[in-house]
Order: sequence, then C-alpha cells, then structure tokens
Amino acid sequence: MRAAWYAEWLKLRRSRLIWMTLLAVTVGAAAAGLFMFISLHPGKARDLGLLGAKAQLATLDPTWPSYFGLLAQITAVGGVLFFGMTMVWVFGREFAGHTVKDLLALPTSRAATVTAKFAAATGWSLALTGYLSAAGTGIGLLLGIPGPLSGQVLADGGMKVAVTALLTIAITTLFGFGASTGRGYLSGVGVLFAILFTAQIVAALGYGAWFPFAVPALHAGITGDQSPAPAGYVGVAAVAAGSIWLTIRWWQRADHTR
Amino acid sequence: MMTAAADTPVVQVHDLVKHYGAVKAVDGASLTVAPGEIYALLGLNGAGKTTMIRTLLGMIKPTAGRVSLFGARVSSGAQGLWARVGYLVETPAGYPELTVAENLALTARLKHLPAAAAQQVTGRLGLEPYAHRRSGDLSLGNQQRLGLAKALIGSPELLVLDEPANGLDPAGVTEIRHLLKDLAAQGTTILLSSHILAEVAKLATRIGIIHAGRMVTEIAAHDLSDHVTRTLRVRCHDHDTAERSLRQGGYEPRSDVDGSLAMTADEAVRHPDKVATLLVEAGCPPLHLAVEEEDLESLFLRLTVS
Repeated sequence: MRAAWYAEWLKLRRSRLIWMTLLAVTVGAAAAGLFMFISLHPGKARDLGLLGAKAQLATLDPTWPSYFGLLAQITAVGGVLFFGMTMVWVFGREFAGHTVKDLLALPTSRAATVTAKFAAATGWSLALTGYLSAAGTGIGLLLGIPGPLSGQVLADGGMKVAVTALLTIAITTLFGFGASTGRGYLSGVGVLFAILFTAQIVAALGYGAWFPFAVPALHAGITGDQSPAPAGYVGVAAVAAGSIWLTIRWWQRADHTR
Repeated sequence: MMTAAADTPVVQVHDLVKHYGAVKAVDGASLTVAPGEIYALLGLNGAGKTTMIRTLLGMIKPTAGRVSLFGARVSSGAQGLWARVGYLVETPAGYPELTVAENLALTARLKHLPAAAAQQVTGRLGLEPYAHRRSGDLSLGNQQRLGLAKALIGSPELLVLDEPANGLDPAGVTEIRHLLKDLAAQGTTILLSSHILAEVAKLATRIGIIHAGRMVTEIAAHDLSDHVTRTLRVRCHDHDTAERSLRQGGYEPRSDVDGSLAMTADEAVRHPDKVATLLVEAGCPPLHLAVEEEDLESLFLRLTVS
C-alpha cells in the first residue's frame, strides 16, 4: 500500500492539475471576498461598477459565520468541479496515457493501487480545502468583517467547510468509477455533469434532503435553513463505499484490453 | 516465493479461447515455454498475439482454457507470480511529467524493489544520459528503452515482451538482441511477439506462428531449415536449351519471371554440382547457380496467408 501511495502522490505532485486546481480555488476564495466586500459596502460596490442596477447580492450577512457559510457553499459547488476533476484525472490519466497496463501485473495489488488513487485525490482535495479556508480567512481579515474572529467562530466555520469538503469528496468517488469503467477522462467528466444536473433537478423537486448528491450543498446552507435528512448523509456514505468497492472490483475483474 | 521444479514449464497455455461476442480473438491456442527459452510469437495484426500476452499477464480473463506461469494458474490477484515477471505490452508508456529516473524508481517501488534496481537497468539500457529528462520528451527509441528497462527491473525470471524492437534504430535492435540473448543464457525465460521476422530468426530458440487465433505451427530455431523450402536457381545465356536439357536429365525446372530456372526437387537441391555438369555438357554453362533458402517471411506468409 505504501508503494502505491508513493506512486500516486508522485504522479499527482508532478501534474499540472495541482496548479490548475490551486488557481481555481484561488478564484473561489477571491469570489468569496468579492461577495463579502459587496455585502459590507453595497454603495461603494455600486459606485465601482461591481453591482448592476438589478443585482441582488445583499442577502449575505456581513458576519464571520455567514462568510464561512459562503466558503462552505463554494466548497460544495466548486468542489464538485475541482475535487471531481482531481478524481477524474487520477483515474482517467492511466487510460488516456496507456499507462494502466503497467499497473495490472505487479506485486502491488490492483486494490492497493485503486485505494491509493482515491487516497491521493482525497488528500489533495483536503489540501485545497485547507488552502481555501486559509486564503478565505485572510481575505476576510483584510476586508475587516465585523465581529471578533474568536476561536469558537473559527472552529465552527472551519468545521462547516471541512465537513462539506468531506461530503463533496465522498460523492466524487463516483467519478473515479466512471473514469475507470469508461477508460478515460470523458466518461468521468460525463458522470460529473450528469450528477450536477441531476442534483439541481432533484433539489428543485424538493427531494434534495434525501438525495446524496445534493447533500453537500444543503449541508453548506445553500438553500438557507433546509438541512439534509439523516438518510441523505447515509446515502453519501453509501455512494462513497459503493463507488470505491465497485472501482476496485472493476480493476480486478474487467478485461483490460487497452 | 513460489518455486517451480526445473522441468516445470515457465509458461503453459492450454486450449486458450477468448471470444468478444462473435469475435474470436484467440480460438484454442496452446503453447509451452521451457525455462531459458526465447519463444517468439509471430502473427499478422489481429492474429491474437496481444490477447494471448494480456491473458498470460492476468489482464484478460479467458473464455475457456488454462493459463499457467511457473506451474501456477494465472489470476489478476496472483501477486506472488508478478514478482517473477517483467513485461512490456504493446507501445511503451511512461508518465510524461516524470523523468526517466522517476519513472523507473516508481516501477521499482511498485515491484517492491530497492532504488538500486532502477539504477542498474538505467545503465544496462543506456539511459544514463536521459535519466533526468522527462519521459514525455524522449524519442520513440528511448521510450522503447524505458519500456524495456521497466520490464527488466529486478531481473525477473520471465520476460514477456510485445514487439521489443519497436522504434529502435539498427544499432539499438542489435544491442537489445544481444541483451536478451545474454539474459536467456543466464536463465531468464523470454516470450516475445514480433513482426520483424528477420530479428525473430536471429533471436528466438522457438517460434510459434499464430493466425486467426490459432497456433498454426511451432518451429524450433534449429529445425527451421527442415521447414523452409530450398530452391536451386540457375541462369544461362540460352534459357530454352538449358530448360530442355534439364528436362531430358529428369529435372522439372520452372521458369521464373526473372528469367531463371528454379528447381525444388530434392535431387537438384542436394546435388547442384550434377546440374552444373549436365548444363556444361549440354553446351550452356550456368552464369549463376545457387541454392536459395526460403526466408522466414516467405514461410510465414506461406503458412498464414493461404
């Protein structure tokens, strides 16, 4: 397992994906800062042309808990893309680069390789979450968000972002399965978009609280007060466990003809 | 580590069948490779070579039949077996963002070998000048060397190489041939597939010709001469007189498009001196007289295309 982890982490560390996702998360942190700036100074924002005449962005409270809620929402929505792309890349690249065949008949088992891939993608996604939280907090301090940034506020906010990240990472495991069975990036990205659209539709129909793929956004408070149902959280865990198990089984049992 | 008795075949494929729906990729092929052999699989594109190799490596499940390495049945989870096998399947593929040294170090780690194993093959395959170059920037020939180096890491007992000479220049082909012969002399068993027939003829100790998923024939390299056709080819100034004289002498010459007379009868091939004497006495001494041996390419085409 250590060998597989070494291999996956080395590949990820040297990839352009690291810089692309860092850039994307930086943009996410900047967007959170922009929204908070508008909330803090709506008049100034309008004068600077940051707000159109019909803009309705004043719903964000200029408080630290509200700001951390926004960071959590960025983690839930953006995370499906950033964490999801990491998951798709980690699996899809082996098929796109024809390197998968070199991982199939080794003393390191296929189960260890697949587990290490999920672990590497999870590790990087958590690192991105840490970066978003740190950068977001720094921007919040620069903006001078009212109220003390107490340890409790920081811990609560950080916990909300971290749990949202874990829920989001859990559902992206399905993209790893998609990229494996489809033998490339395209199928993984296809699953990603299918999930994004389905979650929107199911949430609009009012069943989001039970739908695992809508749970991270609801947990982050994207719809205000509506929280996910306990069954929704169980569903997220089931999606993660099922996706990991199915991916391992697929790597072990499929005919690898490419 | 599992050990096999000295007389246990390293590779054993028995009645292997692999169907993809109506497509019969392999259709009842069998082969056995003994320790220290260099066995070459020859076949046209789509003959079933790569399917057979992937099945040997546990990448494809057979529809029917049995595949064993070192006497143990192959399965995808046979980690004990894979520690004894090095392979290069189809085109070599390294991680383009990693250097040659990192690609090899990564393979060594996945094979549970020390880093020194990677350094050893770097030297053996002449990759030292490229050790710190990203593999994505390598020429095709050096990518092939990298693929071979990954297969050779840890001095495996069995090497399975799909087209090992692909992309190499003539000097590289010779170098790899010598390397593989040295490894075989030290006891490494090698199963390779190739379409470079001349190279196979120089390298293999046994050749299996596969066509449409079936093993057409197996030939030991030292028996190759028994399988190839020999032809006595004669050219004279007076072609018609020479042909008439040969027929009167009991031969059955065939006129070829290049103007020569060709004879495949055993008597003619074994005693070209008698043919020469006959032609001289008939007043049309030969300008050219030679026994030509069918090359492996012609043999291969004769056995498969028909």
